[in-house]
Amino acid sequence: MAEVRYQEASRIYPGTEEPAVNQLNLDIGDGELLVLVGPSGSGKSTALRMLAGLETVNMGSIWINEVDVTLKPPQDRDIAMVFQNYALYPSMTVGDNMGFALKQQKVPKAERAERVAEAARILDLTEYLDRKPKNLSGGQRQRVAMGRAIVRQPQVFLMDEPLSNLDAKLRVQTRTELADLQARLGVTTVYVTHDQVEAMTMGHRVAVLNFGVLQQVDAPKTLYAAPANKFVAGFIGSPAMNLFDAENVDGKPGIAGVAVPINDAVAAALKGQSLDKVSVGVRPEHLTLGTAGIEGEVTVVEELGSESFVHVRTDHRGEATNIVVRDRGETQTARGDRVKIDFDGPLHVFGEDGQRVTA
Amino acid sequence: MSAVVVDQSKNGGTPTSDDLARAAAIKRMERREGWKRRLPVLPALIYTILVTQIPFLFTLFYSLTDWRIDKVEPRQFIGVENYASLSGDKFFRDAAWISVQMTVMAVLLSLIVGTGLAILLDRKFFGQGFIRTLLITPFLVMPVVAGLMWKLQMFNSTFGIIGWVMNGLGFDSIEFATKYPLASVVVVLVWQWSPFMMLIVLAGLQGQDQSVLEAARVDGASSWGTFRQITLPQLRPFLELGTLLGAIYLIQVYDHIEVIVGGQPGAKNLPFYIAQRSIGGGNVFGLASAYSIVVVIASIIIANIGLRVLSNLLEDNS
Ligand SMILES: Nc1ncnc2c1ncn2[C@@H]1O[C@H](COP(=O)(O)OP(=O)(O)OP(=O)(O)O)[C@@H](O)[C@H]1O
Ligand SMILES: [Mg+2]
Repeated sequence: MAEVRYQEASRIYPGTEEPAVNQLNLDIGDGELLVLVGPSGSGKSTALRMLAGLETVNMGSIWINEVDVTLKPPQDRDIAMVFQNYALYPSMTVGDNMGFALKQQKVPKAERAERVAEAARILDLTEYLDRKPKNLSGGQRQRVAMGRAIVRQPQVFLMDEPLSNLDAKLRVQTRTELADLQARLGVTTVYVTHDQVEAMTMGHRVAVLNFGVLQQVDAPKTLYAAPANKFVAGFIGSPAMNLFDAENVDGKPGIAGVAVPINDAVAAALKGQSLDKVSVGVRPEHLTLGTAGIEGEVTVVEELGSESFVHVRTDHRGEATNIVVRDRGETQTARGDRVKIDFDGPLHVFGEDGQRVTA
Repeated sequence: MSAVVVDQSKNGGTPTSDDLARAAAIKRMERREGWKRRLPVLPALIYTILVTQIPFLFTLFYSLTDWRIDKVEPRQFIGVENYASLSGDKFFRDAAWISVQMTVMAVLLSLIVGTGLAILLDRKFFGQGFIRTLLITPFLVMPVVAGLMWKLQMFNSTFGIIGWVMNGLGFDSIEFATKYPLASVVVVLVWQWSPFMMLIVLAGLQGQDQSVLEAARVDGASSWGTFRQITLPQLRPFLELGTLLGAIYLIQVYDHIEVIVGGQPGAKNLPFYIAQRSIGGGNVFGLASAYSIVVVIASIIIANIGLRVLSNLLEDNS
């Protein structure tokens, strides 16, 4: 069991100017499942590989259990990693794949077989132990990769998009199993994904990266309810938050000619900032179709059964702008309708610097 | 693709004449497809048959005659007599044994050296391309030239580099190629063929999935452990290919022997012996033909055994 700490850790790839990971500070608690999320190229894999010892840390340090491992090779860090393509050993059977790390540690054969059998039982792989990886389905391979990690009982699990090669249904199912397995084993886990739904559902805490810079680390709920900046606000949530550069409506920030209802504290915090440089965001479920508010025309209705998302075109700052509103399932609203959008819930206001204006 | 789907759900499982006609049409189409694929290789096939199989058949025919240049009568069919005399020919047996030693040593050593070089080249460093080209050059040198280079510049006791080094170390220089004819030829063969093995193994190394190697490191394997347990099994098909191609070429080496050691019995392999018996002065074409037929068959067998042995070796390892 272990705690992990990134301390001002940076990685600059040879031949590049910009750091792929820029002064990352992150504390991961014992037994925690921390999800690293961000768009493609944001440095998630790099951050994970730095912890694994597969990438040099150019500046700063990395600690596992209060031991500085920055200069240690991967084999001395007692970590297990699940790769995106699983990286199974093609010439070995499933059993040998799972027992490989134990063999390197010179664990006696009998104990090795026992631990492999135990892991295989947990992961439902018992009948495949003698097969080669190429004769397995994608989902089974994924489980072998997991098995290879859990057999070792390591200090830390590292997972780099372990579900991205599975089909959508299996991905949802495996995601639950994986979170459950992690909770049972209680091993500190760093989990990389670009899928924010995966991040929200699995993570005890979620760290959002962009351009190698950590944007926010928080529990999923907090991340959703109080995004620290514009990037996080736009990244977390599906469908995405409606996020606009505001316009000045009678000294208040507004959307499409309608002032948004902000409280006095926010108004006070915005004092002195130019209103058309601040941003306002509101999630689709915090808008309703009503009798007053922002006027527009329905362009698309996405009917999902239990709910529907209505896309409304409005005129905001002189441009056609799309606003998404959540409506009930089997909505009567249809393409071409003229509607009015009312605010019904929390608003997010970001100052000129893109940071959240806290009320 | 066989896509003959006869829908038997309607009319109670009996295919109608319509269905049958459709199936027949699909079969015709498949046959036409097959020819479309075969036709383009036909010229190459015909050419190959003309230049390899027909001469082989002629050789087979000669091997059953008593054709020799010093007889006035026309050549006569004598059945398997040539083959029968083979077992009593001590020189043939000696040559066969030399062939085996020479091929096995040259293939194995060049495979080992080639793998070593490939591993050194399989990492990024400054001047990599240049060094790779340098390492490949021996393979591009003509066999006769390679033989001459080694004979005159290396092995020669008076001007050779080996002699010079030995003198420098306080030993008497010796005529290397005369004293150790087989070893001399093998050294040159290994020098020429290591680059070939290197290229094949390098292709194997560079085709490896990097993340598998990283996984092994994370799982705690040392560099040597990773090579032995992960890389080597993955290289297996490449090593097999190298062995097979190397054996096929090296079993028929002639030029090196001719140039370096001439007709010395210590390094006279089968092709050399057969050439000596026929166009090289012996002029017993019927007999020589029989010998070469035996050599071809033996080569096929040896190449197969070599492959088998190597496979088993690697199987045990993993
Ligand atoms: N070996 C490398 N050499 C140079 N630059 C690299 C190397 N690997 C990654 N990068 C760069 O570093 C940045 C971060 O890459 P990284 O692989 O960590 O992204 P990621 O967040 O994992 O993205 P993805 O979701 O696509 O996997 C990218 O801009 C990428 O181009
Ligand atoms: Mg990645």
